[in-house]
Amino acid sequence: MSTQVHATIDEGTVRELSDSLDEPEWLLETRLEALEALDDLDMPSVIRTPGREWTNLHDLDFEGFVDPLNAAEDKDQVGPDEVEVLPFADAVDEREDLVKEHFGSVVDPQEDYLTALSTALFSTGTVVHVPEGVDAEDVTVRTEMNSRSLFNYTLVVTEESSSVTILERQSTGDDVDGERYYSGIVEVDAAENSNVQYGSLQNLDEETYNYTLKRGYADTYATIDWIEGNIGSRLTKSSVETYLQGDSSESQIVGAFFGHEDQHFDVNARVWHEAEHTTADLVTRGVLDDEARSVYEGVQDVGTDAWDTNSYQRENTLMLSDESEADASPKLIINNHDTEASHSATVGQVDEEDLFYMEARGTDPESAKNMLVEGFFVPVLEEVAVDELRDDLRDLVAARLRQ
Amino acid sequence: MSSDQDHLKETDTEKRFEFKKEESAAVTSDKGLTEEVVRMISDDKDEPEWMLERRLRALKQYQEMPMPTDWPGQPDLSELDVEEIVPYIRPDVDKREGADSWDDLPEDIQDTFEKLGIPEAERKALSGVGAQYESEVVYQNMQEQWEEKGVIFCNMDEAVQEHEDLVKEHFMTKCVPPSDNKFAALHGAVWSGGSFVYVPEGVTVEMPVQAYFRMNSEGMGQFEHTLIIAEEGSEVHYIEGCSAPKYGTHNLHAGGVEVFVGEDAHVQYSTVQNWSKNTFNLNTKRAIAEKGGTMEWVSGSMGSKATMLYPSTILKGRGATDNHITIAFAGEGQDIDTGAKVYHNAPNTKSTIESKSIAKDGGRTNYRGLVQIADGAEGSSTAVECDALMFDNESTSDTMPYMEIQESKVDVAHEATVGKIGDEDVFYLQSRGLDDDDAKQMIVSGFIEPITEELPIEYAVELNRLIELEMEGSLG
Repeated sequence: MSTQVHATIDEGTVRELSDSLDEPEWLLETRLEALEALDDLDMPSVIRTPGREWTNLHDLDFEGFVDPLNAAEDKDQVGPDEVEVLPFADAVDEREDLVKEHFGSVVDPQEDYLTALSTALFSTGTVVHVPEGVDAEDVTVRTEMNSRSLFNYTLVVTEESSSVTILERQSTGDDVDGERYYSGIVEVDAAENSNVQYGSLQNLDEETYNYTLKRGYADTYATIDWIEGNIGSRLTKSSVETYLQGDSSESQIVGAFFGHEDQHFDVNARVWHEAEHTTADLVTRGVLDDEARSVYEGVQDVGTDAWDTNSYQRENTLMLSDESEADASPKLIINNHDTEASHSATVGQVDEEDLFYMEARGTDPESAKNMLVEGFFVPVLEEVAVDELRDDLRDLVAARLRQ
Repeated sequence: MSSDQDHLKETDTEKRFEFKKEESAAVTSDKGLTEEVVRMISDDKDEPEWMLERRLRALKQYQEMPMPTDWPGQPDLSELDVEEIVPYIRPDVDKREGADSWDDLPEDIQDTFEKLGIPEAERKALSGVGAQYESEVVYQNMQEQWEEKGVIFCNMDEAVQEHEDLVKEHFMTKCVPPSDNKFAALHGAVWSGGSFVYVPEGVTVEMPVQAYFRMNSEGMGQFEHTLIIAEEGSEVHYIEGCSAPKYGTHNLHAGGVEVFVGEDAHVQYSTVQNWSKNTFNLNTKRAIAEKGGTMEWVSGSMGSKATMLYPSTILKGRGATDNHITIAFAGEGQDIDTGAKVYHNAPNTKSTIESKSIAKDGGRTNYRGLVQIADGAEGSSTAVECDALMFDNESTSDTMPYMEIQESKVDVAHEATVGKIGDEDVFYLQSRGLDDDDAKQMIVSGFIEPITEELPIEYAVELNRLIELEMEGSLG
């Protein structure tokens, strides 16, 4: 059930939304400022070469998707007792100081048009707070989208020497006619010596446009590891980013995507080395079938003060169809010479010899191809330290292959 | 806007004559790039009408195009005042003999020649001091050797007169149209000098065709055009530029290079350039390779204040091959933004790009490359390898490759590494009795060896010597 009459994006709507969530004045102000900024903000940056914008966001009528007052979802937020896992509205209620301190501190609410739109209109979200010294595992956040648009906001704060593993899952529930829009902003603030593992598996239906920005700040000795799986949606623009701000902080970004039909993935993995002895490892593998298209941008930015940096990036794309397109731009930006950095990217198809070998062993061509595709993801799956996420990702890949 | 005819009428009068006088007296005026200036260049060269028309069209395109300023991390062009370009064009037209004397050359250029160990007479020739005479001799010798086989090698201005049909067909039409970028358009409007090379079907030119002397005899030619046409099954190696720097008084170099590689033909284009350090080097170089043809770019980019240069190859015919080998060296205050572009537009095409860069004393190097494999270019493969060496923490080195792959039956690989000069390596060499500078020099020489071994010995030696000079910081 849905209504095709959507609210206009104006001050009234934002006030109504904020009012219905019983929000404090400062949050309403932040929303209104973001709303006002929309006119002057650009779309998030996409790879551009002269004469070409690799992902065309301008053609999308984001405002047309937006229906903030009718946002509907089913959400599960579960975590062990020692950790606070709160729906955003409850968190604003119960832990206002915490939210006020961290909201918008990692991702600028007015960073670009889409973050500002999210800030103005988000109605659902989760706040995860891990107290000092607590080792929390298995915080699960499942979001099922049941409306035309959903703006979701996640804030993760880990205190000193704590650790947490968060599994986030977005999928589509009730049928809604036409195109949809899911927007997810994730801010992670990892204090000294804390350890955050954030896994995300996106399996939205293929009428859904998806914009997600996940960004973490890692303090001294902190580790932020991201696992980013993209299977669903019609168009995904996903950025996963870590700022290594403290000495000896580390980050790993593991990405996997599998596009088919006319899906478009614009996948970005970025890391900024801003302190000494920091380490980053970016690994992404993607498969494209039918007319699917991927744009990958990886950035390793080593700042002037980032002495003794280690930074690695690998991206591999497998193309199963002649109609698919894979674009890649792995960028190295090095401002400190005391750096060991490398990146590599490859694009290719299923190896003919492997295929032949397997067929010679009696495997039919279709199964042989499927096995090789599954095998292609293995190096990435191996990096996924969370059993559940790894199994789910593997299952989704297998399911797609058998469609 | 009135038609070209009207313009001609209007300018083909006493007014035009007056203008000329006025203009020559106003060499230092900052009038900007105007139609009058373009007409004057064309008139001075006694060009056919079609060339003037092309120039005027390019000028119009130039005026309509915005400055390229929105590339991520591109060199700062804000100090490049296009309005100031005019005075630098004028000498091309009126003053062909180069600098008046050796002493007119900037000190660092004099210094370079001295340190390169080039004899006095040759130094003068190379730097363009009264070199016109010598360069003519060089051309003559080359022609005698090859003209029986139908090879043409001459000045581009001359080619417009003597080989009009070939030039008309190929000049800034299919390969580098003025619409390609703002500086290609600028080049199209005010180009002057350069080389024309034509190699007939099946002819192999055994020794490299060198534009070493010519470049410098023109001296002032900041907009030189090089057009190379290699017919089916022919083979030629063209070497341009060498280590001779340009004058300090010029601040913009916008050359154009067009290479037509016929079926199964093989062209190598090598250049080692060392511009003076106030030069904006914004060149456009492109090759089109037909079926089975091979294009090889070997280039060393030294000097300049800022360089934006991405030699590109369009692999148009089945089985065509492109190889790029480039080296960039950026010292203090220099921003060298260079790379390679390859368009795989046919099946079974192959490309390799090997890029090395060195950044030192606050210099910046950037590899910016594009590999595009078009839909239908099945069986194509490309391998890109970028290595950057950094000397210190003031320097910057970026790698920004772009890969657009529209075909599945391909093999695409890109690899890049950045590292500092190895302390251990330096220590090892020092323990063998080398001092710090020599040790680093030796490491750099090893690092760039893949480039130098592609160059004829005299160029390789010069490249090494140039790098040595940069390393000593003696050119400051």
